[in-house]
Amino acid sequence: MFNSIPGTPQSNSRKITGVKIFSCIKPVVDPATRLVINESKTWIKTQDATYVASEADNYALEEALRLREKHNGEAIALSLGGEEAAKVLRAGLAMGADRAIQISDTNVRGATEFNVAETLARAIEKDGGADLVLAGVQSDDLGTGATGVMLAEFLGWSHATVAIAINANPEAKTIQVERELEGGVIESVELTLPAVVTVQYGANQPRYASLKGIMAAKKKPFVVWSAGSDLGIAPADAMLETKELVVPEKKSRVEILSGTPEESVTLLVEKLRKEAKVL
Amino acid sequence: MILVIAEHREGKLTANSKELVVFAQRAGRDLGMPVQTVILGADGVNIDVLQTARIERIIAIDDARLKNYDPDAWVHALNAVVDQRQPALIVAGHSTQGMDFMPRLAVALRKPLVAGCVDYAKIGDHLILTRQVFNAKMNLKVQPKGQGPVLATLVPGSFPGDEIETGGTPEREALSVDFTKIPVRRRSLGLSKASKGNVDLSSASVIVAGGRGLKQKENFSLISELADALGGAVGASRPVVDAEWLPREYQIGSSGQTVSPKLYVAVGISGAIQHLVGMQNARCIVAINKDPEAPIFKVAHYGIVDDLFKVVPALTKLVRDLRG
Repeated sequence: MFNSIPGTPQSNSRKITGVKIFSCIKPVVDPATRLVINESKTWIKTQDATYVASEADNYALEEALRLREKHNGEAIALSLGGEEAAKVLRAGLAMGADRAIQISDTNVRGATEFNVAETLARAIEKDGGADLVLAGVQSDDLGTGATGVMLAEFLGWSHATVAIAINANPEAKTIQVERELEGGVIESVELTLPAVVTVQYGANQPRYASLKGIMAAKKKPFVVWSAGSDLGIAPADAMLETKELVVPEKKSRVEILSGTPEESVTLLVEKLRKEAKVL
Repeated sequence: MILVIAEHREGKLTANSKELVVFAQRAGRDLGMPVQTVILGADGVNIDVLQTARIERIIAIDDARLKNYDPDAWVHALNAVVDQRQPALIVAGHSTQGMDFMPRLAVALRKPLVAGCVDYAKIGDHLILTRQVFNAKMNLKVQPKGQGPVLATLVPGSFPGDEIETGGTPEREALSVDFTKIPVRRRSLGLSKASKGNVDLSSASVIVAGGRGLKQKENFSLISELADALGGAVGASRPVVDAEWLPREYQIGSSGQTVSPKLYVAVGISGAIQHLVGMQNARCIVAINKDPEAPIFKVAHYGIVDDLFKVVPALTKLVRDLRG
């Protein structure tokens, strides 16, 4: 922590100078695989599914590692879930995170962003807080971009979303963030730390884990906490009841042109010339 | 009551704000609820379209803290409105601004947020909201539980903004909110426009755009060859520029350029909503993709569901032959 304030609770006894950064990683069913709706039509089939880190979270972790390298300190990978969370945390350690915290509770699977954010906030507090928490701008499954912002409210911290560049000024306890808005507009903001920032796709080029990194990861601290007994999160009444997961109906006007590639493109060119009159 | 949080930029309501009003009017009719709108930092914003809309009230809040967007000020002001007016449903745009404060407001109120909505239904007395999940490949229908209010964000383009019901005479109310206890922990350092470089696709009449389906940078030549044959320009979806196959200025979509050419050919682009909002106004859209479920087919006029590596060379050859 920057210039630790005397009396600030610190559960880890190690003295860390520089910035302390959490990087939140969500395990998601690999979007490159075929997603199939489950029998109860409440979610996709997850049995035998391959989990990967949600893509945007890789940009967040890369940003965390760069800030840690520049300012010293600690980058901690944080995830929620069972073996799928452990897997993405090991990958995060191999990329260069210093340690990992897994919040293991099977009842958090399928939880709303609200429950997830509260659980992450309690874990960050239990670890003694931080200067900065980074997360991907949105996940590949629910994809709403709500969790990071909710996390900031649970922690009572400032936040910024859709970051494409982050510069920290640890002495002044501030960071400058460039946010990407609609229509190619960039907003620059300065936040007072501690803060939560969600990182946009393509903000950087995430590094690959080296063999050395993978070997080193095995020796790094990895703790597992239970949301209930370690963090005091009580099972909450669901705020949202899932009725049905569906593939959206196509309300579209599309005319599918079939045949061999030669046939379909011949038909297409004819339609573009005679029907749409755009060629 | 349904509360619409209207968003504005440079003195104008955003297109999405009008869509929110349409959504609220329709849902309000079905649920038997009036519609009110709230505008933060309303001074100087043109709200003509709201003044004739069939809505009950326009609440304007002005303060120095609302001059520049700040989620702390927004959440504080909206909290005050919710506290006084007790809306059953609060809607904002699923925009970079809406998704910057709605999750905080939901936590502050300890109420559910259904983000990324595209539709709604009333079943019995219940409101069912349909939200996009898995990058718009699937929709999840959810029913909010417990006592209201429910918060929702609406994906741009989900409702027709030009179908606002008119004929109303909404009451205009200036609400004053005390911000003195809200510390400033975010300072705006200004807005800038990302450089378009030398690539301005807004005036191109034909655009051929490539996506992740091209698999690697080298294959992008398929796109430039087809664009050449058609006398058009080259564009790209976000994953292509993220992977640095092409510079960022070629990106089409919500964070890149918005285009409306005569002909738009999308090759290997699945059609995430962020891409669709940048090109769906093209006069004629052709999609070439091997995945028949790809959302791009929802906005396309003509589609070929096949291997792009076979289709595109065949199309390029045919166009070249025809043009001599």
